[in-house]
Amino acid sequence: MEAVLKNLGRTVELLAVAAHSGVVNEWDEQTVTRAFHWARYCEHIYSRFHGNPVIRGVLEKQLQLTNHSLKEALPEYNAVSFLDLGRCQDLLLLWLLNNSALPISIMKMLFETKASADSTSSNYEDVRGLCSQIIQCKSACTVLRPLLDVPSVGADAEVQGEMLMEGLGTALSQSSDPRRAEDFLSSVLQEFEVAAEHLCPVIAAALLTTTDSAAQTAAQDFLLDWLQSRRGALQHVCTALPSKVLADLAKRHQKFRDAFCKLLKRWASEMEYRLTEGEWVHAATSSAVSLQKMTEHYLTLFEACPSLRTEIEDELKAQRIADGDYDVRGLSVWGDILLALRK
Amino acid sequence: MDFFKLKSEFACGKRQMTELQVQQTTAHWPNVQEMMPFWLEKAIAWGQTDTPDTRKDISLHLKRLRDFFQELLTEISSVSSTTETLNRLPLLGQLLGRLCWNPHVTAEGASRGLLLQCLLALYSEHPSNAVEGKANQWIQKVLCQLATDEEDGAAVALMKHLAVPTKEYHLKVLKKMVTRIQESIGNSRCSVSSTNKGCSCSSVWAASEACVPLITCPEASPLIGALLQQQMTCIREGLSENFLDALHSAYSRCDLLLDEQAVVSLWYQSLPSLEEAVLNLLVSATAAGSTPSKVEEQVSKSLLPKACAQHCSVFLVVNDIFRTVLKQTERNERVKNVFQAFTKCFFMELSRLQPQPSASLKAFFPQSPPSLLIPLFTMPSEMPQESLKNHLMWVSSSLQRLTEEDEDEEDSDSSNIRGNHKVFEAWFLLVQCAYWVQVAVQLLVTSGPENCGPLLWLLTFYHHPTNRWHHRASQLVQAKAAWDHLYSLFSIVARPLSADHLQSFISLLAPKPQQPSLAPSLTLNLLVNFATFGQLPQSTSAEITQKVVHQSGLQDEAARVLSLLRLRLNDRGSFASDRVHLRIEELHNTIKKTQM
Repeated sequence: MEAVLKNLGRTVELLAVAAHSGVVNEWDEQTVTRAFHWARYCEHIYSRFHGNPVIRGVLEKQLQLTNHSLKEALPEYNAVSFLDLGRCQDLLLLWLLNNSALPISIMKMLFETKASADSTSSNYEDVRGLCSQIIQCKSACTVLRPLLDVPSVGADAEVQGEMLMEGLGTALSQSSDPRRAEDFLSSVLQEFEVAAEHLCPVIAAALLTTTDSAAQTAAQDFLLDWLQSRRGALQHVCTALPSKVLADLAKRHQKFRDAFCKLLKRWASEMEYRLTEGEWVHAATSSAVSLQKMTEHYLTLFEACPSLRTEIEDELKAQRIADGDYDVRGLSVWGDILLALRK
Repeated sequence: MDFFKLKSEFACGKRQMTELQVQQTTAHWPNVQEMMPFWLEKAIAWGQTDTPDTRKDISLHLKRLRDFFQELLTEISSVSSTTETLNRLPLLGQLLGRLCWNPHVTAEGASRGLLLQCLLALYSEHPSNAVEGKANQWIQKVLCQLATDEEDGAAVALMKHLAVPTKEYHLKVLKKMVTRIQESIGNSRCSVSSTNKGCSCSSVWAASEACVPLITCPEASPLIGALLQQQMTCIREGLSENFLDALHSAYSRCDLLLDEQAVVSLWYQSLPSLEEAVLNLLVSATAAGSTPSKVEEQVSKSLLPKACAQHCSVFLVVNDIFRTVLKQTERNERVKNVFQAFTKCFFMELSRLQPQPSASLKAFFPQSPPSLLIPLFTMPSEMPQESLKNHLMWVSSSLQRLTEEDEDEEDSDSSNIRGNHKVFEAWFLLVQCAYWVQVAVQLLVTSGPENCGPLLWLLTFYHHPTNRWHHRASQLVQAKAAWDHLYSLFSIVARPLSADHLQSFISLLAPKPQQPSLAPSLTLNLLVNFATFGQLPQSTSAEITQKVVHQSGLQDEAARVLSLLRLRLNDRGSFASDRVHLRIEELHNTIKKTQM
């Protein structure tokens, strides 16, 4: 454990040097490779111990100490958090590239491009050409992105959903205390607050990942419960996502199906008929849902879960009867929905 | 065999020739400075919108852009300082800066590499003024942003909380995209009936166009393969031209990672790629030092026979190339051997695909005499040994009739070239099925003088098909003479070995000044077969062979002919006894000694 702490301290110091020191000017390929090797070591430490609260505490303490002394020596130093250790190599790369003392030889090495298709990009150990490979991946994704079909969550959200599921699964399996997993979700998803529209596809994708194990199913269940427990979260998701995705979610998860149907009913009940426009309009402006959209949701839902059709239609009929069972437009939202569905 | 010259006759070569010609005939090839405004304008236009038209324009210009980068790099490297470079090329910074952010340019390996190299070449190790210092800062900043900037805040958050490295994340996304696009392409079917919906095949075209920069990207190769193998049911859309062109270029550079079926599809859709593949096979199979067994190995390793069996149109192209090559290299036994090996392989693949391959032979050989197809494509191993002779008699007489008809026509109308064509096609077919000629030679040894007429005719026809150009009639006489000599040399009666007798045979092999000489491989083939299947003891046969080969100086040809015999007898289905195999071994060693 002592050795680990010492190495951790040394590596963080190395990072600081990479970021701020002019010494970097004398670094050669070997030095850089070794630096990345140590960064990888830290990533390894993180992945081994981040679930172990005791050892994590010890590591965080060491980190605090190192940060403190580095801050005294280098005022411009930015503290490295425990979370940062998990992506130490990326941090190293970022700080190196931002260091104006970085020699051109190292830049050339990092951005080397092998023109032939022989380059095996699965070799994580290779530092040579690392940046060129990153650029290739990112550019390839940008080039291919427009080709993907629109009524789906998108490949980015899919991968992010898978990552979320994996993280959630790990958090759940590490302790029986559900607060751990909740903390995890909160901390991850709060970052989404700024980019709220990205949140919904990711959650949807997470809920749609194929589950091979009981642990994964449990994780999805947990996420569903969390979704329903958060005020407005479910509503937000159902407003933001296309009908097809919502239908797929309903097909997959009974809980979601029930909640979604309930939501649709609630939306319908909140609608008002505006004589001037001749349209049903949603009273609350926070989530403007049109009758057309609701009809679309229902129709797509029926396609995915045919058994629902009679059930829902019966409900709608019952509501229409309660409203007086008139056959005229504009009097009962339930009647008008039924009409739209029948078309 | 001048394959470069040959290549110029085919589409793949023609394009190269045109490019070379354009480069040479252009009076004034614009230099880097003159081209800068053009490329800057392009870079600006490309950066403004991302529409299918823009992407098409980029794909169209990608190769030229690469060449421009190369010239740019040379120019930058030749100038001593960045200040000087920027003086000469003031628009350079703008151009590079814009193109760095164009994913279609940076996705492609070669253009990304050159672009990065240009940037790095502008970096001054010891900046001598403010301009160079600023340039350094800018270059480092651009490089840093290219490698570390993330647009997707969600991705950043997740990567941070889940400790997933950047490279791993982007690779995952790329692989996921490739999978999803492959699925959507696999599901797209052209439904002619739904005219109001619009053809979904446009998605295939769009995907192929988008993939132009990704042809050498290893992660995209499953998608490239899927695009190539997509069933083209729609007449309106197919794969984009730029896509096929780029594939062909990468294929020529051996830079393509495709699985077998994708390569077959590439050949099916890109004529230049197919031609290039065939010519490459011919070149490597006829290279110096190639033996018949090496040829067979190369042909069986090649995917071409399989591709030909799957697509008749591919076979027709390949066969046409063979036809052209044969017309120019009639006497080249090595080339003829490649054709034979190829045809055998092709027929094997065809038999794997179809239970009755003989039924479709006409489609594959539309120009050959139909009556000869099934007889020649029946393998000798598929017939009982006793029937082989009659079979060959029939083949021989059919061919004889054909040549007689043709020669009659020739006499009556000297300008008639159509008949010549029939004989050529028959001969071409025989060359491709030359295993029957080999069987004929063996039978010439084992069956005795009463049957040798038609068999000798067949053998002579193989080497000298026409009377007019190849003097078949007089060659037949010489062939008979050679056979007579060998027959008496190798018969048990003639003892001891008469030196004169041997000498007069050897003189048959020597080239004669006044008259056209018999193809040496004909005579050597007879010799080798007599030595193997004849009744003389092993040592005597070897001795005769050694003397003939040594004195005539035809060691290499003799070795080649013996290899062919050995290959044929090693084939499964041949009825060679152990004795025969031993004799061949001995002969092989004998000839080898003469080669040293």
